[in-house]
Amino acid sequence: MDTAVWLQSGLTAPILLPLTGALLAFVMRRRATPIGLLSVVALLGAVILQVPSLFADGPQRLAIGGWGAPLGVDLYADGLSVAMLLMTAVVGLGISLYAAAYFRDTPARGQAFWPLWLLLLTALNALFLSADIFNLYVTLEILGLSAVALTAIAGGADALVGAMRYLLVSLLGSLAYLLGVALLYHAYGTVDIALLAERIAAEPATWAAMGLMSAGLMLKTALFPLHFWLPPAHASAAAPVSAALSALVVKGSFYLLVRLWIELFGEIAGGVATLLGLLGAAAVLWGSIQALIQTRLKLLIAYSTVAQIGYLFLAFPLAVGTGATAWSGALYLALSHALAKTAMFLVAGNLLRFGGHDRIADLDRVVQRLPLSMAAFALAGVSIMGLPPSGGFIGKWLLLEAALTEGRWGWAIVIILGGVLAATYVFKVVGYAFTQSENPHQAQPVPATMEWVAFALAVAAVLMGLIVSQPLIVLEIGNPFGIQAEVAVQ
Amino acid sequence: MTPMGFGARAGHLLLIALLAVIFGGLALAVLSLPSESPGLSAQVEAAMGETGVTHPVTAVLLDFRGYDTLLELVVLLLALAGVWSLAEGSPFADRRPGTMLDRLSRFYAPLMLLVAGYLLWAGSASPGGAFQAGAVLGAAGVVLTLTGWRLPVALAGWPLRLILVSGVSIFILVGLVAFFFGAVWLDYPLEWAGALILLIEAIASLAIGATLAALFLGGRPEAHP
Repeated sequence: MDTAVWLQSGLTAPILLPLTGALLAFVMRRRATPIGLLSVVALLGAVILQVPSLFADGPQRLAIGGWGAPLGVDLYADGLSVAMLLMTAVVGLGISLYAAAYFRDTPARGQAFWPLWLLLLTALNALFLSADIFNLYVTLEILGLSAVALTAIAGGADALVGAMRYLLVSLLGSLAYLLGVALLYHAYGTVDIALLAERIAAEPATWAAMGLMSAGLMLKTALFPLHFWLPPAHASAAAPVSAALSALVVKGSFYLLVRLWIELFGEIAGGVATLLGLLGAAAVLWGSIQALIQTRLKLLIAYSTVAQIGYLFLAFPLAVGTGATAWSGALYLALSHALAKTAMFLVAGNLLRFGGHDRIADLDRVVQRLPLSMAAFALAGVSIMGLPPSGGFIGKWLLLEAALTEGRWGWAIVIILGGVLAATYVFKVVGYAFTQSENPHQAQPVPATMEWVAFALAVAAVLMGLIVSQPLIVLEIGNPFGIQAEVAVQ
Repeated sequence: MTPMGFGARAGHLLLIALLAVIFGGLALAVLSLPSESPGLSAQVEAAMGETGVTHPVTAVLLDFRGYDTLLELVVLLLALAGVWSLAEGSPFADRRPGTMLDRLSRFYAPLMLLVAGYLLWAGSASPGGAFQAGAVLGAAGVVLTLTGWRLPVALAGWPLRLILVSGVSIFILVGLVAFFFGAVWLDYPLEWAGALILLIEAIASLAIGATLAALFLGGRPEAHP
């Protein structure tokens, strides 16, 4: 068998490895933890192996079943896809190591966790690799269902109510997306993104499909004012699940929206890009202010996610005219947010395990007792605020650059204001961590793994600010942001 | 009905107006579509000779877009994994069925197995196939459960779970067969395609039937035998 087929077939590995792991973990419940950890390590290896061939041969396309579009389903990996796969694998490994320690005392929950978590990784990887809008719908279904089931694992009324609402929202989003797929298929006779891009025209069916698919994905990404479901679901889930939801799951639907926007809808959207940007700006301000007034740490972090998602949507209007800078900025922010937000939620899990609560005002000098966790929180906070050196700084800097080169001061002010508000809510937590509480509490031991994983991810978020050029080069392999088209227009 | 405040009523009216606008817009978009869709029927027809089956729906589901179908099987398994993560054990207490139900189910259950087998076989040439056969198998499982039949304890643990994952597993494994022929994943060699598709469908219908019946049962049967 020739090497080209082998290399192409490597594209299925990020999907098949966690899927096989999920099946094994489901059947062999008692071995679920080692199976899960092995699968995630193998996944990271498989994704890293994709990088050299990406540099050497550019974007890869694989026609599953040998058919090719439009009859079959194609996988497609360019720099953007591989960057998202890398983010998922790295954050996924961190969450897996944490979860292995987190669920040690509750084996029944752990056994339920692993198959669902591996299926969530399968769905994310399949989503990042798919080039077919119907296949993407199926991946969205697996992603949504596994995320809901994982939310419910925490048990208790809060988690179940949050999960139920999440389920309904997720289904509504999927159905809106599917209706858009049906309209596009009827109008253009294909569900392959590349073929659709050639055939798509500005007509009512396309506008309706754009509205439906964008609305469905905005709902799933929790863009203001469709964010109402996120804080209860993300705050009530178990710590590793909260981290996965905030760091990875919302990025899946965001990635898909960016893809559709660049390939299909961008040309015909007109003022819709500005609308998305305005909603993003509102999300930055509203989410940050809500985060500031929360009294519970996990809710604060969840509202911070609402605000950070808002930043990602600023790229839609900013990309008009500046193209790659704005998209690179938003995606760089998405990647570093994944690392930083995972670290924050894992720290919140450590504090919950340590003190039995997550009331911010009662943190009670936790900095002396869990110094590693609080250091992780502060480092992750640096990236969330967008202070140098951190991945968050680079992302926001690129967005700011895109805003300023075109003289769009309004967007620039939102970007800076969001950073100031983020600094305020991060320092609020850090401040309480130093002060003595009036209600001292019994402390429980926290496994060292849980602290070190959070710390390592926070350090990685900061490192993203020091190693900038390589991730940016990877992101732009295969020209995912359609720069050639921009030049031609100019 | 409790009286609504002005704000709530205005909110309702606003919601109705918004939904009406969305509905109107969608209706316009649908009406604007050409009644003849370009579709892919002609291309499917042209490629049928390379699939090893003769029914176009089966060809699309198992061959052209087999990857989608594999992921749909994952969705079904995931639904069950989700239910099992919520509920420990089956909420069904043992009950004694009436004479009528008892006799009828003894009569129906084998018949349903036969119907499932036929649907599976028919799928290669006419409408039918794994999902239909699996649905009938699942219904047989529901009827048996309702009449007090229980899976033997020895089978309720890993053997049942193995059957539940068998549909997705066989799909992945058959897909890997392609590697021996120098082809990409899920590309069945033509001379084997018909037989391989039937193998996938047979095992998938068993897995689908087991999953549907287990979903009806609610919790993991092993937890409360």
